[in-house]
Amino acid sequence: MSKRTDLIGKITTNLSGHANISISSELPFVQGGSPLYSTNMNTVYVDEQQIDVEELYDTLDGISVNQTTTTINAYLATDAKEQFNDIETVVANLLVARNVITGTVENTSNYETDIADDVITYTFEYNFITV
Amino acid sequence: MADVIKVTSGSQAVLSLGNTAPLAVPGAANTMVVPLMQDITVNATPGTVRYSTLDNTASSAFTTTNENSISLNMLVDETTFFGGGDALNSVANVGLLSTSIAKTEIFFSVAFEGTDSTDYYVSGKGFIGGLAPSASMDQAVWISPMEIIVNGELTKTQV
Repeated sequence: MSKRTDLIGKITTNLSGHANISISSELPFVQGGSPLYSTNMNTVYVDEQQIDVEELYDTLDGISVNQTTTTINAYLATDAKEQFNDIETVVANLLVARNVITGTVENTSNYETDIADDVITYTFEYNFITV
Repeated sequence: MADVIKVTSGSQAVLSLGNTAPLAVPGAANTMVVPLMQDITVNATPGTVRYSTLDNTASSAFTTTNENSISLNMLVDETTFFGGGDALNSVANVGLLSTSIAKTEIFFSVAFEGTDSTDYYVSGKGFIGGLAPSASMDQAVWISPMEIIVNGELTKTQV
């Protein structure tokens, strides 16, 4: 399975206790000029994974050891005026979902927010580094 | 015209080891090629003693015996480090670590230009030392320095 699939599975598990928030397996494509996470608020959308490969070690016999960084973004849009009381728990559960990916040398996750009108959009970034 | 020896092809700088001199010749059958080297240095250093005299404003020197060594850094290869069961080359059979622990004298060659006919290499015999494998999450792989303490002279030869 891809890291995106694993991540969606873990987010689904972590948010199972939050009845007001769901997760979609669809990509957050733009429909009618708006991305799906803006149209379908309170639904987590996980974007396609991006992979970056760079050389970590070069050797005299021409063998390279590469480092692969997989970056996945996830989005959640919700009401900015009346946020869920447990929004901090939701955010924490989304961040910690990174631990589902194993066999890596580093897993990181962070998020930033953007407010437009009365909608706050959480954009999560997950990075998984393998060698 | 300068004739710079390039190593960019990935087959120029080659360290070969064996328990006999013929086994350590570059390109020889059953030689043990140390893979994944990041760098290698051939240290050919004559020993010197400096002395000063009252009638000279600069110190003088005379040479003593040569002190030669080979030093390198490598990513740790499992078969090379711990042995690969090669019955015809005991160094390859037991690996670098066991050879170092046993203080077994080995033969080596450092190819400068690869293993083709007329390519230059430096050879000798000595003892493996300086192994200090280390690992961390930052470097992600095992890396170790290594030294061959040369017993005797280095010899320049062509394949």
